[in-house]
Order: sequence, then C-alpha cells, then structure tokens
Amino acid sequence: MQSSIRPGSWTRRDFLKLAGASAASGGLGGVAALARRAEAQPSPVHLNFMVWSYGIETIQDNIKSFQQRNPTITVSLQDTSWFNYHDAMATKFATGDAPDVAYSSDHWLREWVAADWIAPLDQYAPGLAGAQGEWAPYARQGMTLGGHLYGLPYYADLIIFIYNAKTLKQAGFDHPPATWEELAAQAKTIKDKGLSEYPIDIPLKKDDPWTIEIFYSMVYSRGGHMFDKADAPVFNAPGSKAPLALDWLRDALRNKILDPAVLESAEPDVVKTMGAGQHVFTVLAKYNLAELNAGQHEQKGNFRMALMPGDSHSTVGFVRFYALTKAAVTRHHAEAAGKFLQYFGGKTDGRYLVPQRWALEKGLGFAQLPLYDDPQIKAAINAWGSVSLERQQAKLAAVKEGLTPSWGTWDVYAREQIGNVIVGSVSSQQAIKNMAAKWSELK
Amino acid sequence: MKRAAGIRQISLGGAGILLGVFIVFPFLWALSASLQTELAIFRRPPSWAPAPATVANYLYVFTGRIPEGYAVRGLLRSTITQEARLLPPGLRNSLEVALGVIVVNLALGPLSAYTFARERFPGKEIAYFLILGTRLLPAVAVAIPIYLIVKQAGLLDTKLALTLIYSAFTLPFTIWVLTLYIRSLPIEVEEAALVDGCTRFTVLRRVVIPLARPGLAAIAAFSFLFSYSEFFFALLMTSSINAKTTPVVIASISVNPDSSYTLIAVGIVLSIIPPMLLALLFRRFITSSLVASMEQA
Amino acid sequence: MRTPLSPRSAVPWRAKRAGASPAYHALTVIPVLLLVGLFTLFPLGYAAITSTRRVLLTLPGSTPFIGLRNYAQVLHDSTTHVAVKNTFLFTALTVPSVIVVGFLVALLLHQPIRGFGLLRALVLLPWSIPLVSAGIIWRLLLHGDFGALNGLLLQLGVVHSYVPWLSSPRLAIQAVALAHVWREFPLPAILILAGLQVIPRETVEAATVEGAGAWARFWHILLPWLRGPLLIILVYETMISVSVFDLVYVLTGGGPGSATTLFSWYTYTSTFTFLNLGHGAALSFIMAGALVVFIALYLRLIRVEARSA
Repeated sequence: MQSSIRPGSWTRRDFLKLAGASAASGGLGGVAALARRAEAQPSPVHLNFMVWSYGIETIQDNIKSFQQRNPTITVSLQDTSWFNYHDAMATKFATGDAPDVAYSSDHWLREWVAADWIAPLDQYAPGLAGAQGEWAPYARQGMTLGGHLYGLPYYADLIIFIYNAKTLKQAGFDHPPATWEELAAQAKTIKDKGLSEYPIDIPLKKDDPWTIEIFYSMVYSRGGHMFDKADAPVFNAPGSKAPLALDWLRDALRNKILDPAVLESAEPDVVKTMGAGQHVFTVLAKYNLAELNAGQHEQKGNFRMALMPGDSHSTVGFVRFYALTKAAVTRHHAEAAGKFLQYFGGKTDGRYLVPQRWALEKGLGFAQLPLYDDPQIKAAINAWGSVSLERQQAKLAAVKEGLTPSWGTWDVYAREQIGNVIVGSVSSQQAIKNMAAKWSELK
Repeated sequence: MKRAAGIRQISLGGAGILLGVFIVFPFLWALSASLQTELAIFRRPPSWAPAPATVANYLYVFTGRIPEGYAVRGLLRSTITQEARLLPPGLRNSLEVALGVIVVNLALGPLSAYTFARERFPGKEIAYFLILGTRLLPAVAVAIPIYLIVKQAGLLDTKLALTLIYSAFTLPFTIWVLTLYIRSLPIEVEEAALVDGCTRFTVLRRVVIPLARPGLAAIAAFSFLFSYSEFFFALLMTSSINAKTTPVVIASISVNPDSSYTLIAVGIVLSIIPPMLLALLFRRFITSSLVASMEQA
Repeated sequence: MRTPLSPRSAVPWRAKRAGASPAYHALTVIPVLLLVGLFTLFPLGYAAITSTRRVLLTLPGSTPFIGLRNYAQVLHDSTTHVAVKNTFLFTALTVPSVIVVGFLVALLLHQPIRGFGLLRALVLLPWSIPLVSAGIIWRLLLHGDFGALNGLLLQLGVVHSYVPWLSSPRLAIQAVALAHVWREFPLPAILILAGLQVIPRETVEAATVEGAGAWARFWHILLPWLRGPLLIILVYETMISVSVFDLVYVLTGGGPGSATTLFSWYTYTSTFTFLNLGHGAALSFIMAGALVVFIALYLRLIRVEARSA
C-alpha cells in the first residue's frame, strides 16, 4: 500500500500547491472544482483490473509505476486464460462481480454495450476521448458505437500473410504469391519438390477465436464483404466471395497442400510447426511474425510478411482495448479508473508509455500511429518485420463486419460450419445457407 | 504339456508388457518432453530420449532462471511465459484445498455415516436419498448459482470456497461408502458396548473408527483425488494465484502461445506427481473399500 | 465400563430401543445435510427456475417466465440432436470398451506371472491423475503435426505419415474415446480383479475337474460371480461417459466441426458461450432426467437380479 494523503493531514500549503499545479496545467477550472478535488483526492480508491493471461509480469510492473504516480489508487490484477476470458467475464457481469477496468475486444463491443456492462468514455471520463485522432482508423471503428467511444487501445493488430522466405527461394520463386490461386500453385510446387509435405498451415481449431478472423481476412482480401452497414449478411448474396474462400480451403485440403491437422491446430500449434520448418505459408496475427523470427525455432529469422493475397489485399484489423465498466461508475470509481485508462492506453507526459513498452518488449502491435515515428520502435519492428509493409497493410485493413451482440454466438456456429466444409461433410453453399439462417434466428 | 504352459507364460508375459506400455507410455513421453528442447520434439518422429537432457525448464519454474536462448536480446525479447512460475504456488493451493476437504470428510463423514448405518430416525430415508441423489445434476447447471452463493459470502477467489464446494461434492460418496462399510462390520461389538452404557458417540469413537480405518484411509484418498483433479469449478471461482489450483494453472499454460511444449510437459509432470504417489501408496485401501461397498450395495 | 448394577443393564438390550437420542441424530446428520444441500439443493432449485425463464445475458433486466418453452426450443434445435447423437455414439463406444478392457486386464493381472505385482500397482495410475492433465498429455500424443503417438506409429511402420486424429470427424471421437478409456479402465480392472481374487478355488477346481473349458468357466462361473460389481461399474461408467467434459475442453473444444460436441459440452457452451442460461438450465435437466431414468432402470435390474439369485 502506497503512503496516502490522509484526510486531516492536508495543510493549507498542500491545498495551495495543488491549486497552483492545477492552474498551471489548465486542467480543471473553477475553485469549486478544486475544492471538490481537495476533498475527493485523499480517499484511497481500490480498482480491480481484469485481463487475459498475457505478459502478467509486465502488467504488474506497469501497475506499480501507475501506483507510484497515483498514490491514492491501488490496483489489483486478476487474470484468466484468453480462451476462457469471455465466459469468465460473462459470469462476472452476470453475478454483479464485475471489475472496474477490463480488457475487451472489438468483437465483444456491441454485446457488452447492449448488456450494459461497459460505459461510454465520453460520458464518464471525458478527458480520454481526445486522442482518438491519432489512432488507426480500424481501431477507432472497433471501439466506437453509436458515436460513443468505449475504450482506449491496448493492442491493435492485423491479420497478415507470413511465408518462409528461405524455402520459397529454394523452390525457385522470387516473390511471394499475390493471389490465392498463385498461393495454391506455389504450394503445390513446393510439395512436389519435397520441401514440405503440407506447405500451408492455418489455425482453424474450433475453439480458437482466430479462426473467424482469418476467415474474414480471406474474404476481405478477395474484395468481399461479410455484412453490410446495416449488419445484414451479404456473405450469402450471389457473387459473394465467402463461398470462394471456403472452397479454396476445401480444395487445398483435398489437394493435400493444406495441413489436415488444421482443424485441431490452435495458434501456438501453427506457430511452432511453422517454426520447425514443417510448413511454409500461413495467415496469422502479426505479433506471431516477431515470435517466429526471434523465438526458439529451427527456422527463425527466415520469415517475412507479404500483403494478403487476393485482389484487394485487404485484411482484418482488430483492436483490444481497456474498457471502463458500468460497475466502476456505480461504485464511484470512474475518476480513478479514468486515470488508470489514461496511463495504460493514453499519453503520460506526452508519451504513450505503456503502448510503447508493449511494442518494444513483446512486439505487440499498436493503434497509436505516432509510435511508428519513434526510431526505437522502427528499428525494433524492422528487426523481425517490415515497417513499410505493416503501414501499407494497416491502411488496407478493416474491422470485422457484423459485430452485433449476437455475433459471438454466431461466430462459434460459423466456425463449426467452416470446419464441416473443410472436411467435406457439407458443401460451401449449404454452409453459407446455414450460417445465414443462424444469423436470422439469432437476431 | 510343458511347452503349452511355456507358451502360455510367454504370451501372457507379452500381454503384460503391452499393458505396461499402454499405461506408462503417455507418462514417459510427458517426462521425456519435459527434459528436452522444443526443437527436438518437433522432429518426425520426435527424439524419444532426451539427448542431451536439460532441466532448464524445471529450473525456470522453480527459480525463475530463464533458459538459454530465451535471454534478452537487445530490445526485442523472446518470450517465455511467466505463467509457468505459477506452478509451485498452484500446487500448494491444490494441496491445501485437498487437505481441507479430507479434514471435513473425516470429521463429518463418519459421524453421519454411523448414524445412517445403525440408527433409525424419521426422515432417514429422505435424508439419505437427498444426500446421494444430488450428484446427478451436471456441474454446468449449478455453476452460476454456486458462483452467486460464493460471491454473497465474499469468498470468491479463495481456497476456502473451493474446500467447501468440494466437501459438499465428496461427502455424499464418503457417506455412502462409510455407511456400507460400517454395516459390514460385526454389530455385536457395538451392541456390547452400548449395553455397557456407552453412548453412540463413544461407540463411534472407540469401536467403529478404529475398525473402519481402512475405509477412512480410502475416503481420504478419494477426497484428495477428487479435489485435486477438479477443474470446472476451480476455473470458475478463481481468478488469481491466491486460489488457482493446479488444473487451472496447467490448462492456462497449455493454451498460452508463449509456452514451449516442453514447458507444458513440465507442468504436466509436476501436476501428476502428488496424485500418482497417493494412488501408489493407498492402492489397497482404495480397492478394498470400493469392493466392500459394492458387496453391500 | 461394566456397571453390573446400573439400571440400564437390568433391561434386556434387545428389548430396549438401543441407540442415541434424536438430538444426536440431528447433530450428526444436519450439518452434512446443510453443507451438501447448500451447494446442491439450492442451485438445483435456482436452475429449475432458470430453466423456465428466458434468461439471456445479452438482454439483461428481462427474464420473463416462459414455461417449458426453453425445453421445447432445445429439443427442436438441430445442434441438440447432434449432441445427443454424439453422446450416444461416444457412450456406446466407451462403456463397453472400458468394461471389456478392464475385464481383460483383470483376467491378465490375476495370473501368477512374475512382475505382475508391479503391473498391479501401476494399473491405477491413469485413473489417479487429473482429467485435465490426462487430456493435455493425450493432445501431445495425438496431434497431427507433432503427436508422439504418431511418431511411434511412424517409427514402427504402422503408418507412413502422421494421422490427424483430432481433425477428422470420424477419428476425433475415437481419439477422445481412446483417451477416455485409458483414463477409466483401471477402475473396473481393479474391482473385477478384487472380485476374481475372492472366488473360492474349490468352485473353479471342481469345474475344471468336470471338464469345463476356459470359456465355460468364464461364462458359468466368473460372470455370475461378478454380476453385482459389473452392474455397478456399468452404471457408473455410463454416468461418467455421458457427462464427459474436461477431455472435450482440452482436446477438441467440440470440434472438428461438431464431431465431438457432446451433451455436457453443449450445455456448457449454451450457458457460457452463447449466454443463454435458460437453455443451459433446460439442457441440464434433460440430461439429469435421462440419468435418473437410467439409474431407476438399473435399480430395477438389480432388484430382479437379487430376487433371482
């Protein structure tokens, strides 16, 4: 527990110092506000912060720094694994046990807002919404609903196309594939040359949330769409690219260029087997490129990114963010939580401290665009990736469409259908029909 | 004649070896994987014996010393999950909870089992049925209401909550086993003691419990195994290492992209040592008490 | 504690109501009832109520009473049918396997072969470890890209390339069944072994003398002798198979497609992933109901057995 400014030990001198500092920074105008702040400040606030289990030690270190800067606020951290996160949060919210600040994701935004679990920042922590002009557009889209902003970015990233450049060169190709047909052809050649039994590997395990993001990106990159602005399905419209993506996967499996174990492979499985040299092409979230090129892998250093194959080279961008819960507002923690959000997702002393740390230490992507100009970050990214390609791909990225409250339910059903198409137990047309039917049923 | 017997011996011995392999191969692989580098595991086929063996992953779990190759390299650091450091405290939590459950079962179990076994009282059948029958409802149905109860009591993310829940889940089986076990004991000794003026409680303490020791040992073993292995409620009720038990920790490690599979194997090996030891030591009690209960049923 | 002249011993003990006071009854039974009831009866009631209301976490604040409509909805849902079919398939696959394997192992371990003492000690090990640990071990063994079992089969020449056990709908449920059997067979094995060890030798010897072959001995002596334990094992293993959850959670997540979506898994996803608590509760009661029916049938069977024995 940090030493706190206890009520009663406030002297006139402290008050004036505070008033002076306030006036200098032009933060809050009005003596009344100052007086209120002087009263409110001394009472210690305890915040609960819920995350999924990634980089816990780093988070705790960040919390320590935050607490040092804000002695009246203490934060305790809770975490559960990413796979269990949504279900655990559902339980917490359902039973009134919600934390004050929690990680959230763009694909849960509407569900959590509809269920009244999280609070709009412009209403409860107005100072925070100012910086959003500096963020990547897809990230801003992912955190905004009905004109209200619901979070500050924790981590934003893209689904990218990754290939093993060394193997590609060995097979005689001098450039990565630009279309899905070209990819299939290159994979076939690589297979025939005996360089890899199944050159393509993608995580399509049923309980892996990446499955749907990757599928979306395969549709976007062909210039297709999944839902329109009114959240009506367009993936089942005539001429839609979604059946093409499904058929491509099914054919790739049939032609034995796609690893038959994709349906049991989650993201770590794909990364490790790629790293071990078993496969050559994959579609993954960008931070995996950092892992492949710097981690403990036989093929480390050989991986490069390329723009997503397909006519439009578009892809999915996603944002995970810090959300302020309604529970925090009810508990009168909004102000303290706002400070917390500011430190973790916004600027402190004019710099994005925490996002920069994530970028440098873990290679996590970010939504705060000014960070691309930081020479340290540029050097760090180019060590395993490509700043120019990343920037280019980010411009061609879009948020997932159709993220209504029932999207999460539909997502699990859709993954099931995708799996069924790949193993051939249902045709792509039928799967698309099923997915559309489920959507109407859930509406 | 002798040759037939010889062939019989050999084929039975062979079957025994196959059985042994079937039982032990998964354990051996987990052990081997925990001592290797990840590179070796991803070859086809993987290297069976660790050559060379490395305890680096075990050292990381217990001391935090980052294995070679994961060391900081300039600004970009290769990742190794810090979650693995949670294995020792997770093990501790599991053992504490299991111990607590054993204590509750040994305290409350014999008391009520003896009453059910020898006493007659109104509502006995109903009480017995209520206690035993409630096990039929799947865990998922009762998950949220139990969560609410624990939350109201302010016991979320505590070992005490898990101890209470697991006790509630193991007591029915304990009582069932003990009731049948006690019924299998000769009633004359107890009756004689009663005649001599002992109370039921004294009889329980001085006569039945000493005789029922094998049954109690089995109950302790079952309670331990159940509590130690329980996953679903532990997953729901715990959110920090204050109360997370071993199954929750290893499940979390296994889906963490920063885990090397050798590290996951280390988690597995550490998680299975306590129950395996217990099973080996208490084997006879477990078997005999189950058999005795079944004969009575 | 003999007190020959105490009034108590003056009364023939068979005549008096031997035993304890009602207070003792209450003291020893009620705490257990309370503890167990708190965590089972109250949640049961809560779940029952939930199953008759529309409770969607995405639409909070409105949980209207809808009678049995949750039940109707889930019974008409195609995924429910898939889950029932898969569970039926899984149970039909695993219960006989567990019992047969357990029986064979018991027969084997009953033989006086050197070294079998060690085997008898080892046999309980798979059953003793947490299901989650077992599941993760089997995932490391079965994975189509790096599974050690695949490696073993490849090395022995049984297959010429790694098999994607958990990616093929047909194989996935068998793979989960394999992990399940590995974990469960020790229980029937040790119980049947214990039963075998107490068969009176004279019975077996008499039968052998009278010319009964191994099969006849098995059918007419062993099986009848073990009937009781076998029936209990049958019920227990069926309950376990029907409610399998941890393995599905760790190995397949219900996939590939919906190949391993078993009933308990489906109940879980209804509640926690699809956030439809009403459906989840309804499914739970359906499952519990099915189990109750089965147990009642079994009890009737036992009573018939006992009477005919």
